[in-house]
Amino acid sequence: MNSQAALSRELALRIGLAARALPDTDAKRLLSVLTACVGLPITEEKIVGINLKNLKTAVAGEFLDVDEPLLTHALSILKSDLHTHTDVQERQAYVDGDMPGSVRIACASNDGINVDGHFGSCSQFMIYQVSADEARLIDICGTDSPDGLEVDDKNVFRAELIQDCQILYIASVGGPAAAKIVKLGIHPMKLPGIESIADIIDRLQTVIAGTPPPWLAKVMGIDATDRFRFEREATG
Amino acid sequence: MALYIVEADCISCGDCEPVCPTMSITEGSIVFKIDKKTCTECDGDFDIPQCVKVCPVDNCILPLEA
Repeated sequence: MNSQAALSRELALRIGLAARALPDTDAKRLLSVLTACVGLPITEEKIVGINLKNLKTAVAGEFLDVDEPLLTHALSILKSDLHTHTDVQERQAYVDGDMPGSVRIACASNDGINVDGHFGSCSQFMIYQVSADEARLIDICGTDSPDGLEVDDKNVFRAELIQDCQILYIASVGGPAAAKIVKLGIHPMKLPGIESIADIIDRLQTVIAGTPPPWLAKVMGIDATDRFRFEREATG
Repeated sequence: MALYIVEADCISCGDCEPVCPTMSITEGSIVFKIDKKTCTECDGDFDIPQCVKVCPVDNCILPLEA
């Protein structure tokens, strides 16, 4: 039996994302290690049983020289669906105008903690309003289309869900989908690897507090005359 | 005849820099910029300006008013 044919779409995606979290590892390499760990076919039930030690020692120590935190992270991605943390997070109230100088971001996520989602398949978009010194989780947007509603284009439907956001963070996105996102005025940011939403917000806040690049200042609604001030400083 | 980059829209991706046949694009202190003295709008090299072709942002690279 072909090993890939037996994989669920969701699991295949998670293996791909987990491989990206590891240095010099493609999905094929990770797949061969997983096969050595649990045998074929690879299933969700078997993946749950893998621990750090199995992963390190499989295929004569293929991953022996990989840092443990990275392996632990990869494992958590592999098992992500089975440890959903979404319920823990509470939405915070937000009314337009509450947070001046802020930007609304959407994070494509499966676990609600990390930006670990592919645009077209993630289970939810975590929506945050972020200013220099505050970040509120204002919505968790599920991606299931409402019952009985025929969706013409899945990617347009998903992009419209987050239409009021200025920035979208994703672990991966396809070219045509990215074009549809841009068309709605959302700035897509594809991350080089999986990162926690907290880290991304941290970094964004540093940028907002400093000198935001002109395109960001523009989407944040900072007046062009105010922008000019630091442009002149920067060129000076 | 030359093109310029709209500062408020440029996301500094850098895609335009290597495709310029006259090497008129450089990274400025804020965003990328086009040297209007050397930009030819790709006349003689290509049918359409290459920077405009690769730029991911609509209306970010425009012709300078003469």
